[in-house]
Amino acid sequence: MEQIVNSLRIKFSGSAGTGVAVLGSSFAKCLQRHGLKVYSTNDYPSLIKGGHNTVFLRAEATDFFSHYDYNEIDVLITLNKEGALFHEKELTPGGAIVYDGDKIKFNEGELTRKDIKLVSVPLSAIATKNGGIIMLNTVALGAGMGLLGMDLDPLYKIIDHVFSKKGDAVIAQNKTCAKEGYDAVASFGDFKVKIQAIPVEERMLINGNDGACVGAIRSGVKLIAEYPMSPSSSILHFMAAHEREYKLVVKHTEDEIAAMNFIVGAGATGVRALTATSGGGFSLMVEALGLAGISETPCVVINAQRCGPSTGLPTYTEQADLRFALHASQGEFPRIVLAPGDLNDCFEVMGKAFNFAERVQTPCVVLIDKFLAETAYTIKPFDQKKIIVNRGKFYSDEDMAGRTDYKRHEFTEDGVSPRAIYGQPNGLHVASSYEHDETGWTSEDAEMRIKQIEKRANKMKNISEEELAPQVYGNENPDVTIVCWGSTKLIAREALFHLQEKGLKVKIINYWAFSPFPVETTKKLLSGKEPKIIFEGNSEGQLRYYIREKTGLLIENAYLRFDGRPFTVPEIVSETMKVVKK
Amino acid sequence: MVTAADLNEATHTNQWCPGCGDFGILLAIKNAIVTLGYNPKDVVVASGIGCSGKLPHYIKTYGFEGLHGRALPAASGIKLANNDLHVIAVGGDGDGYGIGMGHFVHSLRRNIDMTYLVHNNQVYGLTTGQTSPTSVKGYSSKSTPHGVIEEPINPIALAMNAGGTFVARSFSGDLKHLTEMLVQADKHRGFAFIDCLQPCITFNKINTYQYFQKRCYKLGEDYDPTNFNSAMEKAWEWERTGDKIPIGVIYKKEHSTYEDELPSLKEKPLVKHDISNVNIDSIIKEYL
Repeated sequence: MEQIVNSLRIKFSGSAGTGVAVLGSSFAKCLQRHGLKVYSTNDYPSLIKGGHNTVFLRAEATDFFSHYDYNEIDVLITLNKEGALFHEKELTPGGAIVYDGDKIKFNEGELTRKDIKLVSVPLSAIATKNGGIIMLNTVALGAGMGLLGMDLDPLYKIIDHVFSKKGDAVIAQNKTCAKEGYDAVASFGDFKVKIQAIPVEERMLINGNDGACVGAIRSGVKLIAEYPMSPSSSILHFMAAHEREYKLVVKHTEDEIAAMNFIVGAGATGVRALTATSGGGFSLMVEALGLAGISETPCVVINAQRCGPSTGLPTYTEQADLRFALHASQGEFPRIVLAPGDLNDCFEVMGKAFNFAERVQTPCVVLIDKFLAETAYTIKPFDQKKIIVNRGKFYSDEDMAGRTDYKRHEFTEDGVSPRAIYGQPNGLHVASSYEHDETGWTSEDAEMRIKQIEKRANKMKNISEEELAPQVYGNENPDVTIVCWGSTKLIAREALFHLQEKGLKVKIINYWAFSPFPVETTKKLLSGKEPKIIFEGNSEGQLRYYIREKTGLLIENAYLRFDGRPFTVPEIVSETMKVVKK
Repeated sequence: MVTAADLNEATHTNQWCPGCGDFGILLAIKNAIVTLGYNPKDVVVASGIGCSGKLPHYIKTYGFEGLHGRALPAASGIKLANNDLHVIAVGGDGDGYGIGMGHFVHSLRRNIDMTYLVHNNQVYGLTTGQTSPTSVKGYSSKSTPHGVIEEPINPIALAMNAGGTFVARSFSGDLKHLTEMLVQADKHRGFAFIDCLQPCITFNKINTYQYFQKRCYKLGEDYDPTNFNSAMEKAWEWERTGDKIPIGVIYKKEHSTYEDELPSLKEKPLVKHDISNVNIDSIIKEYL
């Protein structure tokens, strides 16, 4: 059997609440400490205990973009029987299932594969013997590492760190568990995949939500108000954990309506303020989104999209809130709508979100999708220089000295009225939800109404086409063009290599800015005669028809996925091939 | 020195009905700011929507007229963003006790240092006279032509039970008393709530100036507002007697404010933090 070195796909499965997520993330860390590049994504139902959870990891020696196919694995480490039955089919020939043979008994014919290894390890017995069943996952980690011939040291270091407050005895017990799990798989002989330590390059292992948080902190966010909702809650957790170090105020509010009104109030007071939610919470926020629009108050809302409508599939991914974000709230007002497609985007787009919001003095909605929000992979450390704070137009105290004519909504050439903020001398004004005149005073005058609508719309011109240009990858004169947005970018970028290997010239256009929309750039990018296909995680082709609305151009092929699961590389490759063959 | 005249917003026309109880509230707020000696630039008056919601436009301070029922979360965001500001939130009984009730309860237990005054006229004025959460049982209106079936809420008792640290009632027809309540509310460290009885001369023909003048009486100096149990007696006196309405500080207690517990605000308000080049090296290290 040919041995594969440093290329692995492994899945962990078990009932919700049994620590599968921690098992997966600890294993990912161990792989990272071996110098490998790691990619980790999870699949779990909306339950605290019970349902079936999985973590999928892929590890390679060099950087890569995606899972490839989360239904193709070399190793399954399962804490329950269902996991083995459900995922057996996903194993590659020569693959292995690691399980506790004392607890899980397979009946005749339940497992059908003859070309895989069944690696039974007495996980519970080892854990119980060494201090308690609670350490079962440590045994499983050790067993997995033993199977792959890994070095246990990185796991020992993690144990030292994680249990540092629990004392030496607990640390020692866990290490024994890891070692005995490791040794228990020795009798099963060589496995087809081996992990060998290589020089560790500096990489972060981080997910999309955390990446966006880092971007927000770099951008100078000061007040975060949020109500928990999957899959956005980890943003609240991250911010709360960093509240003191970065001198933030993080408020878990009574509801999403409060959260949004908190940040509009804070935005009007001159601080950078953020809320995060998912579609249901965003639904509650939209009235205040319009308040930010009419009062010309900058603020940023992250909508971590999950499957709607209503409660939908709470823990599954979708890209179906694009139209919602573009039109949320009654009436018409400018809003910025952006969507990161990978981890660097998550970081950098937050910088753009805060800058655009303040430059245009209007709210910004950032659409992350659940898949990107909760997928972690290794990337080079974020480049701080990619976010340079630009706060737009403010009057300084010197500018305001002696003034008696300040108007908060003064008509200016570019529509943007320099801000005086609460507490500043000579800037008294009311920020209002009513239509108003230049001073902020309520006005129902017809002519003033037209002027104010036009003033606000005009502000969007302060963001140039160049600043909004979609990201383009691949070949110049392509045989086929792929259009995508959000996390689909990750999968499409990996598919690009596979399509190029087949001799095709392929271009990928990834959209991250939707409002304002880069109309002229889009017309140019889509002007070629090659076949084009758009991949979107929704059933209506929301970006497809938005592009048509804005440019008159219809991307003739669409492949839409709305089952709550992300695309796979083979799927994008085969659907793209079909278009070329037409 | 600021005078009440300095706080007059002279360039725009007031849209309240002539004789509205809101005028008394507006004047009392101005008087209180003068008494406290605040510079208008350091004061933000925040409101929701309704007749009360228009108040920020009628006073020369900073103002925020937000959404119906949402004065408190917006005012809270303002205060946490710049805790050097003096924030006065105003609402109505529909705005604050109806659609905004959730925020009211949570603001009480949160205890952010600001004043919240509710213009309680027991009717929806701006939407032309429907029943409100404080309308008396049986109150007949366009939305309840056969009389409202529910019992009214008791804002004072509710505020006390929700953890309010300063719970007062006043009457817009008694300018001196209301001014005094506003001054005390501002001086109180924490969330100071004033339920202000305010006649709607257009739609509420029951709870008129005369109605309140006849029934309101000031709590005397012998009254101890720090005793929760006796305060709760006072909170229910109007309902119990039908003709005796105590006004004054009904309950108060010392309690740390929300801001006291936030180390991020110790040095200076959020708005004064330098955000031009926040260093994220330490977070990046967490992920290596």
